[in-house]
Amino acid sequence: MNKRRAIILNTAIVFSFCLIFLRLADLMIFNHGRLSERAKQQHIKVEDVQARRGIIFDRRGRELALNIELESLYCDPESLNLDRESLIKLSSAISKESKVILSKIPEQGRFAWIERKIDPEIVKKVKELDIKGMGFINEAKRFYPKREIASHVLGCVGIDNQALEGIELQYDSHLKTSGGKVFLGRDANGNTLSSGEDTEAQGNNVVLTIDEGLQYIIEKEIDKAMSKWKATGMSVIMMDPFTGEILALANSPSYNPNNPGRTSNSDRRNRAITDCYEPGSTFKIVIGVAALEEMIVKPNALFDVSKGYINVGGKVIHDDHKHKSLTFREIIQRSSNVGIITVGMKLGEEKIFKYAKLLGFGDKTGIDLPGEISGWIPSPEKWSGTSIGAISIGYEVAVTPLQILRAYSTIANGGYLVNPYVVSEIISPEGQIVASFRNSGKKRIISTRTAEAFKNILKSVAEEGGTGINASIKGNGVAGKTGTTRIIDPKTNMYSREKFISSFVGFVPADNPNLAMIVVIHEPKGASYGGMVAAPVFRDIAEQALSYLKIPREDYPLKNYLLVSR
Amino acid sequence: MRYIGNDNIIGRFIFHSILIVSLLLGMFGMVYLRSGIVELEYHIGDLEKTKMDYLKERKMLLAEKTNLVSFERLEAFLSRSKELSLPDRVKVAHLTKNKQEKYLSHNVSMERKQLTEP
Repeated sequence: MNKRRAIILNTAIVFSFCLIFLRLADLMIFNHGRLSERAKQQHIKVEDVQARRGIIFDRRGRELALNIELESLYCDPESLNLDRESLIKLSSAISKESKVILSKIPEQGRFAWIERKIDPEIVKKVKELDIKGMGFINEAKRFYPKREIASHVLGCVGIDNQALEGIELQYDSHLKTSGGKVFLGRDANGNTLSSGEDTEAQGNNVVLTIDEGLQYIIEKEIDKAMSKWKATGMSVIMMDPFTGEILALANSPSYNPNNPGRTSNSDRRNRAITDCYEPGSTFKIVIGVAALEEMIVKPNALFDVSKGYINVGGKVIHDDHKHKSLTFREIIQRSSNVGIITVGMKLGEEKIFKYAKLLGFGDKTGIDLPGEISGWIPSPEKWSGTSIGAISIGYEVAVTPLQILRAYSTIANGGYLVNPYVVSEIISPEGQIVASFRNSGKKRIISTRTAEAFKNILKSVAEEGGTGINASIKGNGVAGKTGTTRIIDPKTNMYSREKFISSFVGFVPADNPNLAMIVVIHEPKGASYGGMVAAPVFRDIAEQALSYLKIPREDYPLKNYLLVSR
Repeated sequence: MRYIGNDNIIGRFIFHSILIVSLLLGMFGMVYLRSGIVELEYHIGDLEKTKMDYLKERKMLLAEKTNLVSFERLEAFLSRSKELSLPDRVKVAHLTKNKQEKYLSHNVSMERKQLTEP
């Protein structure tokens, strides 16, 4: 009997083990792939590494663009429980109409955004509502703490942090990072276990050549000038004439890059490099430099301009003020159209064109900002009979303010054409220099002798008797040139008698330049001359900029001071 | 017919007992260690969450600080009492050391530019 029982028991045990073995074989061999995938899905959570854009610094390490973390409200339409009362409260909290909120909730699907990147105070209010089926996700928002400051240089990003303008766009590949994925373990309750990996990645940081202090000074003065002259637009660029570093660049109208959607495309345009204009008398640098370099005139050569007008190809061009005889120096100093056209005719079309191109007109400067245009200067074969007169005084050509500034920097630095740039370095989040753009190269285009001679002429412009006397600064010499241009009236297709562009371009201190700067004012009301409108703005900015940079006055000789070392 | 001595039986019993106890201890030890690791992962996960919260707060504070020290804000604040004054250029004199460790004055203040001694 016992033996029989033992056989039954043994058979049952063996059979049970066989069943277990078969089940194990099913789980571990035949369904291994499917089941292990399911287990992974249950225990391992794949999360996106949160990609953050790099920080943008000014030349002194001040943050101009950084990231903040804000929460975005989403809903799961399938599990959403939104009654009328909650909808009204939600609508009030996020300041959006109920129908707008409802329009964002699809009938199907498991995810829909309700509101992106919400203010923390509003988030608190919404969380208190405790609406089932709604939740928050952390998102990075690009934040420009200085608001309008340098907005045209920095540019802006869209709601998904995609680059739209400025440095953000130009250096997007450096600033953004791909992020990638990270695998995190989780338990049955959904609690996340640490994998020890970083869940946040940051792009490279960008260091600009811009100085926030100088930028603030020019933007403040732009606002004052815009309000004083009721102008339609303005551009100011400040550059180191030796290196091409852009120290400050601003335009008006401006915009707040924190809310780019609230401004028009026109306001976001960086007019200093994207818009061209006829430069007027500031273009006389081409004739002046060419004449001196080709030794066609000497600074003291006399010209008879007493008629006050000149006939060029049947077109009569006048001087604004009548003069008797003027030296070449005085022609530039008093901005005589008749005098400069006379010199231009001596030079001839080919040489004018050659020097215009040498000074960088008609070509992009290569600045590392998006949207730069090349301007336009016609080749001599396309010139009409009047072109030599018009081009000599800065008409029939189109230039950008930056091109004019670069040309004058050539005089400031002794004859080199520099390459303007706004980014000096790219630095990894760990602090390693990834790329350096310092000393972007320069090319000698005119002799030191010509540059020195023309500098002396430009100095006289800001002295007694010059058109730019209003640009003069106490304690330091200023070298520069005024410009006044009539604008073509689109209604008549003729040059307007009421609408002008006033400008002043120069550098300071004249003998040892630290700054080169251009001020361009579009359609000022009440006055038109560059010397009246733009030169005082140049002076006000330059005085503050020199103080900010702690550049000593030259009329207080150092020998009068006792220098003590400590 | 094999003879098995008493000593050998006791030895084998002890050996098997130790083996079983070691096996059980090993298994419990592994379970204990594994649960310890999971507990540690929870703890690190919590700490990471706290770290992320602090980093988030740090970013907000940095943004706020940067905004507060902007020139516009400083001038707006100072203009209530006095103007934001820039250095008086009359009082500016720049000094640099020469090879003999003597201070000499120079007139240039821009960075990275060749300094000119008088």
